[in-house]
Amino acid sequence: MARFANGKAPFLRKADEKTYGTQVIMRDFLIGLLPLIGFAWYKNGIKVYIEGNATFLEMFYPIIFIILGGIISMIIEGLFFIITDKEIRSFKSLMNRLSLSYAMIPGILLAMILPLYTPIWVLIFGCIMATLVAKLLFGGFGYNIFNPALIGYAAIAFTLMGVINRAGGALNGSEVLVDAIAGATPLSTLSTTNVLSYQTLVAPYGSLWNFFIGTIPGALAETSALACIISFVWLSARKVIKWFVPVIYIGTVFILSWLIGIISGQTGIWFPTYSILSGGLMFGAIFMATEPVTTPKNPLGKMVFALFLGVFTVLFRFVGQYPEGVATSIIFMNIFSMPIDKWTGVIRTEGVTKKTIIKIVILVILIIAIAAYALFKASSIYTATIELPLIMRGWN
Amino acid sequence: MILHKAKGTRIEGKKSMSKALPLHEYLNPPFVFIPLLQQATPLKRIVEIGDKVAIGQVVALREGFGAMPIHASVSGTVTAIKKVWHASGRMVEAIEIQNDNQNRMDESIRVQTDISLLSRNDLIAKMQQAGLSGLGGAGFPTYIKYQTKCPIDVVIINAVECEPYITCDFMLINAYPEKLLKGLSYLMRAADAKKGVIAFKTYNTDIKKNLEPLLVNYPGIELYEVKDIYPAGWEKYIVQKITKKTYAGLPAEAGAIVDNSATAIVFADVVAENIPLISRVITISGEGIKNPQNFFVPLGTPVKELIQLAGGYVESLNPMKAWYIAGGPMTGRAILIDELVVNDTLGSVIVKPMPDEKHHPACLGCGKCADACPVYLTPTEIQRALESKDSQAIKELNAQKCMQCGLCSYVCPSHIEISDYVAKAKELLRKGA
Repeated sequence: MARFANGKAPFLRKADEKTYGTQVIMRDFLIGLLPLIGFAWYKNGIKVYIEGNATFLEMFYPIIFIILGGIISMIIEGLFFIITDKEIRSFKSLMNRLSLSYAMIPGILLAMILPLYTPIWVLIFGCIMATLVAKLLFGGFGYNIFNPALIGYAAIAFTLMGVINRAGGALNGSEVLVDAIAGATPLSTLSTTNVLSYQTLVAPYGSLWNFFIGTIPGALAETSALACIISFVWLSARKVIKWFVPVIYIGTVFILSWLIGIISGQTGIWFPTYSILSGGLMFGAIFMATEPVTTPKNPLGKMVFALFLGVFTVLFRFVGQYPEGVATSIIFMNIFSMPIDKWTGVIRTEGVTKKTIIKIVILVILIIAIAAYALFKASSIYTATIELPLIMRGWN
Repeated sequence: MILHKAKGTRIEGKKSMSKALPLHEYLNPPFVFIPLLQQATPLKRIVEIGDKVAIGQVVALREGFGAMPIHASVSGTVTAIKKVWHASGRMVEAIEIQNDNQNRMDESIRVQTDISLLSRNDLIAKMQQAGLSGLGGAGFPTYIKYQTKCPIDVVIINAVECEPYITCDFMLINAYPEKLLKGLSYLMRAADAKKGVIAFKTYNTDIKKNLEPLLVNYPGIELYEVKDIYPAGWEKYIVQKITKKTYAGLPAEAGAIVDNSATAIVFADVVAENIPLISRVITISGEGIKNPQNFFVPLGTPVKELIQLAGGYVESLNPMKAWYIAGGPMTGRAILIDELVVNDTLGSVIVKPMPDEKHHPACLGCGKCADACPVYLTPTEIQRALESKDSQAIKELNAQKCMQCGLCSYVCPSHIEISDYVAKAKELLRKGA
């Protein structure tokens, strides 16, 4: 007679395999960031160095800045654990704990969406807001409600943007020298001029091809749509993210932007293309809107979530005064991921029945109403013709 | 509706392990223990200590819903009423019969000469007298399914065996292909069905090879291959695939009756020779067994003897760091002491060393559980509703639809016992109702 161990079915777990598990998912996620980091280094470091506008050491600054973000986040989380967790007694147990809470990820993501010349103390401030406030105070990894990196970004954007601009802002050593750009990123040009014109929005930066490759001014690592798409393919293939979330999100923004263009008299397909290629939309859709902890869990919920993100981004971007709508809409929708999960969980298992029809109708009406409002408001803001000579200054 | 097409996930089969050796017949264990429990129903014992019993003699009765007799599986003397470990994970009383190795048959076992004259009701009565129950794992009395008022178009033989490790149906079908077809044709008569379908997984080419040449003699019987996914052997999945219809409660609503292949093979003997349900095939497998193989044994045989016949445990096995699983690895139950006896629902015993412990982080919310769920539940939401004891929400989330296939726990990258939460939520609903 032998006594055996107790256990719960199923006795086979994919998580027991070496090639599967949360650790692997997080590793793949970090690998997915590499194309963007690589491109950021190329655009803001290597290219500037080759053009002779940066010293050899300055060439490494973009990479150092991103790594620094990760290290600062780890230090903050480590300090938090040392102070609050009685079970952390040795360095080894601390590192173990940190590896299970993926401490560096918020810091890395935050550094990637900040302008290149963000002062380090601003980065530290952002990391504290991201890691300590948005993540640890909610209970740590797996319990946070808001996307930590975006909370850090929002905190900086609302308080310290002026400091960043005075320190050099988003433009790298080469871009500063180009007169046409005049200190503006494509989206800030749109929000200050309110004119949908290829001449003011795209021409100063070359062509839409540059938008796609990513050689336009913007935050450190979010400008390249190409790098984002490479990451998207990798992350989808590795099943780290659901492929349809970015597709629905970006698709919604594309269609609504197109409609806004048409209403304002600008029917060219370049405008919606410009709209999805500029700002942090690609980056946000692929890395932030798919962040598992803060978004709905079931597939239907993820779809609804992405749809809402699309309409809110359009609303915030084209109607709001703030040039970027992605961060705001994702933070805003994070609040609703729990109720969305609850409703879509019921809808998904029930299908369209008497019990669920009301919920479906409410969701559909909400999405259509917000989109319609955004279109209506935007049509009164934007025009397709150039009226002010002020704008001409930029590209003449 | 498009959302509700049945689906599954691929799981590594590990079936070749127990296919290497032929089916081992072990018909005369020194003692058998007939458990006085069928499904969750206690049985009424009708023999006393000292009684002489013959093979096929009634020793206990199931009463109430699903009433039917239970038979002795060997001939000999009732020597004790003992508690034994049962596949349900509890100790239950059992009738101990000492085998006299004479294989005396009860007089009820005789060759049926007028098979073609038997009516539908005769056949259903035979199922009941034989104590025939579903040998796939649920142990539901077969005759109740056939008493349905719904018109039945098709009888489906479920030979899918979607759980890893288990090969007992595969082995039995390949040993008795003719009997399976005979049994199915009787089942079709018992259901007044024109069509019979044998469903099996695509990679089981042996089944196809053995059955296909025989099909000419059995009009109306077809083979049906299902994909190698889990849980492809789920009743609803098979019925949906074959009839293209779905149902809420029983398959009969879609005009189908589903039976396990072993049940059909036993039924062939029930009709032809009146041999009741007294034996079954069981897979003894897993990394902890030296020579994994299948055994054809009388019901009530101690599993310990079978493990010894299979070479025993591997030397390196540390029982405290291993599981002894009654049933398949996905839905089975850990038995703490290796004193299990074979009952009608026990298709396999898997002995498996526990995997190395890994540290796992909290739920990251990836949603893989909701993705994998064959009935489209959202297990994370059910867990949240359970933690707040919100039975209204649990009901809305359809937790009762869960069939405990275990896929959500299987795919969870953080090793969370998520299917256990859903099972508890289901339990809460049942208690509340």
